Amino acid sequence: MTIPALGKAVSIRTLDKHYGRTKALDGVSLEIAAGEFCTLLGASGSGKTTLLKTIAGFESYDAGAILVGGADIGPIPVSKRNIGMVFQNYALFPHMSVRRNVAFGLEMRRLAKREVEARVEEALALVDLAALAERQPRQLSGGQQQRVALARALVIRPDILLMDEPLGALDKNLRQSIQLELKRLHAAVGATVVYVTHDQEEALFLSDRIALMDKGRIVQTASPQELYAKPANRFVASFLGECNFIAMEAGEVAVRPEKTRLGEQARVCDRMIQAEILSVIFIGRGYRILLSAGGREIMALAEGSDEIAALKPGQSVAVGFDQSDVMPLAAA
Amino acid sequence: MTVIATSEGRSRSAVGQGFPVWLGLAPFALVLAVLFAAPVLSLLRLAFGEGAFTLAQFQRLIDVPVYRSVLGTTFGIAGLVTGLSVLVSYPLAYVMATVGPRTRNLLLILVLLPFWTSALVRTTAWIILLQSNGVVNQLLMAGGLTASPIAFVYNLSGVLIGMTHVLMPFVVLPLYAAFRNLELSTVQAAESLGAGPLTIFSRIILPLTAPGVVAGAMIVFMNAIGFYLTPALMGGPGQTMIAQMIATNINKELDWPFAAALASVLLVATVSLLALFQRRFGLDRLIEGGGGKAGEPFTVTSRGRSWGGWATVVAAVLVAAFLIAPIVIVFPMSLGSSPFLSFPPDSYSLVWYENFFSTSKWMAALTRSLQIAALVVVISVGLGTLAALGVSRMRPRWRALVETLFILPMIVPVIILAVGLYYLLAPTGLVGSIWGVTLGHVVLATPYVFITVRAALKSFDGNLELAALGLGASWPTMFRRVMLPGIAPGIAAGAIFAFITSFDDVVIALFLTNIRSRTLPKLMYEGVAHEIDPTIIAASCLIILVTILVLGANLLVSKRT
Repeated sequence: MTIPALGKAVSIRTLDKHYGRTKALDGVSLEIAAGEFCTLLGASGSGKTTLLKTIAGFESYDAGAILVGGADIGPIPVSKRNIGMVFQNYALFPHMSVRRNVAFGLEMRRLAKREVEARVEEALALVDLAALAERQPRQLSGGQQQRVALARALVIRPDILLMDEPLGALDKNLRQSIQLELKRLHAAVGATVVYVTHDQEEALFLSDRIALMDKGRIVQTASPQELYAKPANRFVASFLGECNFIAMEAGEVAVRPEKTRLGEQARVCDRMIQAEILSVIFIGRGYRILLSAGGREIMALAEGSDEIAALKPGQSVAVGFDQSDVMPLAAA
Repeated sequence: MTVIATSEGRSRSAVGQGFPVWLGLAPFALVLAVLFAAPVLSLLRLAFGEGAFTLAQFQRLIDVPVYRSVLGTTFGIAGLVTGLSVLVSYPLAYVMATVGPRTRNLLLILVLLPFWTSALVRTTAWIILLQSNGVVNQLLMAGGLTASPIAFVYNLSGVLIGMTHVLMPFVVLPLYAAFRNLELSTVQAAESLGAGPLTIFSRIILPLTAPGVVAGAMIVFMNAIGFYLTPALMGGPGQTMIAQMIATNINKELDWPFAAALASVLLVATVSLLALFQRRFGLDRLIEGGGGKAGEPFTVTSRGRSWGGWATVVAAVLVAAFLIAPIVIVFPMSLGSSPFLSFPPDSYSLVWYENFFSTSKWMAALTRSLQIAALVVVISVGLGTLAALGVSRMRPRWRALVETLFILPMIVPVIILAVGLYYLLAPTGLVGSIWGVTLGHVVLATPYVFITVRAALKSFDGNLELAALGLGASWPTMFRRVMLPGIAPGIAAGAIFAFITSFDDVVIALFLTNIRSRTLPKLMYEGVAHEIDPTIIAASCLIILVTILVLGANLLVSKRT
């Protein structure tokens, strides 16, 4: 691949932003290494898109600083920031062909015509769209438009590539194939990527690191594995995947449903309680069992076995888990 | 009625049972045939010789330099006005699209109020502002900016100011819609790729708003070439346009065949433009704006405006002042007590309003105008509603054609209809009564009712009608209890437009009334063309007040539903 790895490190330092009286960003700090794929994950209204748009320069901030490659980009206007942005709805220029869309950023940089042409060809080849260069955006499928948007953002060799829920408008199958494509492209191009999504599976699949956001703050920043296995608090544990909070004599413990055992399997576990079965749902690869213990609901995911299949609502059953699967949580 | 096998066909025939298409279409079609097609066509026929066919009149039009130059002036002025309208609309539309809802509504009122205020009133106000002892010159001279008055009116600048003021809303409104349809992310994408304000305007905003602008500009041009009032009152001899030439040839020269030839040229130009417009945009564009889009609309983010944005805001403020100035300034002037116009007045009184209400010629004209407008509202609401019902249930194949025919009176220059009706009705004696002018206004006003009711019917859920009929209601009962309440706002809006069309008209009244049957605008016109006395300003203010009241009533009605 010929597009050189030009990604720069990003450093966000105690960023504050208000919309009227509401705090959109509340002391946000985040370090992103050069070439890292960092995802801002959160529910809508958590501040992830605001943070992205602030990095891009589309929104102002009240306090703090954003450094790219060590330099403060606060005073630099959007048009001089050298940032690639892929918008949720792609924002392709509807009156320009694919080629003209991709060439736009290079023309703004007043590159020689020959170089513009060569780099546009290169970028289109990278996203496998060379054959559709003369089409208008409306003649393309959603997935193709997405790739044009990506090529347009990458062709300027941006210091950072920002992506705002770029797969949100696509159907599920397409989304998965483009996720693979994105991963391949990131490996090939080596750009620093800041990616916004509310889809946790997408975040887990794509990211080197995930910053989980809530109410304008970053709650935890970690690799996908660490975020899932060692959530910093209750919010992270329940946001990313499902989590049981089981009341024990020593206090509350957090256990993932797939680590929660039932019946015979529960008896060999370190810890065990009795619970009442509320419902047993067949989900193909196994069963999802909803239980109740001490006034709290517990979810268990179990592989299909005769014992599990025979469980009936109303029965009492043993629920167990190993101490090593208990996730330590900060008080929150 | 045969039941057609397709589901669409079946539902149409089921619905059609209650209300035959011909009953809807026939009345307005008949009115158009007798009071629109017949007068216009019989006028045009005069151009080709009374006995043998000849093109002599058209030859004259080309051979005589004066007439050639009138054609040139007409298209030249129309082109200039179109260009100016586009130029001043951009800043205003940009600001309307990027401010908060409250400021936006205020700006919308600033655009719409002049739009619906009588062209005669606005022209009068401009003359008062711009004449050699007018407000603008008084201010300029008091400020020491000029020693002697600048000639703003009775020349090209007067015509351009007056016509741009009247016509620019036709560009502002579609352009505003185009700005609203722009997606914020498209602009941001360009910005992130390195484009500055000027590049964003020239490479993104301009091409994406171009269709809306071209649509608006064509409407402005189409209107401008048939303009009569403004060039006649605010221009000098060098700004004589076709419409004025037609009037002169009929009133002064009594040269009907040549007037007919001029009318033919004007009509052909207008209809060609309409055909072009329809091909390019479709007539729906004339009736309603474009549809909404999914993305976040173009606006200004927390980062604020660029320097280009601020420069545009300044321009927009000037344009808004230009739009509202004449209306704002005539009010204090109408309250002056001196017979000499000055701004601000030295002392205030209601003497000119008293004069208006105590002079019999003013009161007679006002009463007559209101009578005529009331008649026009009743007749055109009936005709327009029936026509809209008829069109909404006719086969799609002919629908576009019928729709075009039904709105044609809005597009054909009024002067042609006025002269044609004068030619046709003069022998009948209708010209001296209020009926001649009433019939003329009905032709002008019914298309507005047709359009608003048609739009209301489009958004009316056809299943409600089927449900009511299925529950056993007869068609008339269903119409009264279900459909009428649903389309009432459309009918009300149509009625208001019909009222304003009639109440503001000068051109029809100029030809179809005499001294015994003249309307308020005609009486004002005679005064303005002669010498403006303060009673005319009081009358202008009364007309503006009536317009505001009527539009306010419409706003209340449409808010409640």
